[in-house]
Amino acid sequence: MEELTPKENPDQKSPPPMRGLYRNVKISVKTLDKIIIGGIIVLVVLILYGIANNGYTVTFDSRGGTDVPSQELMYGDLVEEPDPPTREGYTFAGWYSDENFRYQWDMDTNQVSQSMTLYAAWEETP
Amino acid sequence: MTKLKDKKPSKLEALKAMSPKDRNRAIGDMLMNNAMFIIIAIAVVGIWIAEPTFLSIPSIVNIINLTAAKLPIALGVGGCIILAGTDISAGRVVGLSACIAAGLQLTTNKLFPGLPVMPIPVAILAVLVVGACVGFVNGFFMAKFKLHPFIVTLSTQLIVYGIILIYMQLGTNSGQTLSGMSEAYRNFVTGKLFTVGNTAVPRYVLYSAIIAVVVWVIWNKTTFGKNMYAVGSNEDAANVSGVNVLKTIIMVFMLAGMLYGLTGFMDAARIASVNANTGLNYESDAIAACVIGGISFVGGIGKVSGAIIGVLLLQLIFVGLNYLSVDQNLLYIVKGVIILVACSIDMRKYLVRK
Repeated sequence: MEELTPKENPDQKSPPPMRGLYRNVKISVKTLDKIIIGGIIVLVVLILYGIANNGYTVTFDSRGGTDVPSQELMYGDLVEEPDPPTREGYTFAGWYSDENFRYQWDMDTNQVSQSMTLYAAWEETP
Repeated sequence: MTKLKDKKPSKLEALKAMSPKDRNRAIGDMLMNNAMFIIIAIAVVGIWIAEPTFLSIPSIVNIINLTAAKLPIALGVGGCIILAGTDISAGRVVGLSACIAAGLQLTTNKLFPGLPVMPIPVAILAVLVVGACVGFVNGFFMAKFKLHPFIVTLSTQLIVYGIILIYMQLGTNSGQTLSGMSEAYRNFVTGKLFTVGNTAVPRYVLYSAIIAVVVWVIWNKTTFGKNMYAVGSNEDAANVSGVNVLKTIIMVFMLAGMLYGLTGFMDAARIASVNANTGLNYESDAIAACVIGGISFVGGIGKVSGAIIGVLLLQLIFVGLNYLSVDQNLLYIVKGVIILVACSIDMRKYLVRK
């Protein structure tokens, strides 16, 4: 690292070269300005695109049961309780937010904060 | 104090004394150098107009909490950036410490069957030691072998991830998410500090503030801190003037590792469920926050206050975009572009000084 760092010379009149991770940078302020402005435009466009296409998709994985249509929801919305799916030989046992069925999704209190999939739990009919 | 007072009017007078052309250039420089702040300010105002609850008390408290949670890791990465390096192992170290802290605090422990809930200081000590060890490896290979910081920390990132995966297989856990930590631990981190309106501020905000003060003292008031800035701005000059470069670099990375450890310790209780992917990509947020806050890749430049401002601004914009229900996947792209733009702006500041 240090052999690439130019030695400092206090008598030198010319400005100190760039150091650190920028030590090999050779670019004019004008070009850099264009890049920065370009980057900012990209950023603004991305954000505007995101806002225009906002909303989260909640998909339902019925895991072998009848299909349940997905829902488009906004931040903080409650998921609308869909008609329970049916599956031969099983009874529907609620929606879970993970595939291991640890966290049941409570349709009355849990709010949407991202796109996600809810998984149907099934109990074998005796 | 007087120095500051003398400086300010002179800057304004200098601006007035300039020819119109120079003045335009100076204003242009100022706008470009602060472009990121301006963009974020506009975005925040825009989001606030679209969604007025964004700046309601619960939302502001939430943003402050998130800032507090991400501050220690940003300070750690900040130290590495001051050395003109960086650390991309940070997120995984946070993950490992979170797993360890959680593992010592489980009420029914599947990782170490039969292990009772450990006292909280043991968990803190464990994450500090683990963080410091990873930091030592990072610092040693950077300082001794002069390897590029990205390469060294990429290697440790992989190593630490492997360790996390093996750790999660211990006992009868077989890689499952850890949850069900002791009440004392959860309360120690997320318990109520005080309430604003009806919103509780958790205790980790206080811990984060204490950490920030300690790091400020280390960076500004100790020989080690001064050596860190010296090594960051010019390793050769620091070496010539008698600074132990090897020791300084190793210590900066060890300090960073300990800060990641504390982040992990707080995160495990804050999120209340820990898995192998906890901490993933935390380093990208931390690096972005540091660069926005003026901790420069040029080396030897940066303040604690910069890191705090950087983390806060980043949380403001991302919580805001979340309020507008912007797709999470898109936010990764936004984050990446923010880092690139912030780096370009950072670079520009030091180009102009030529």
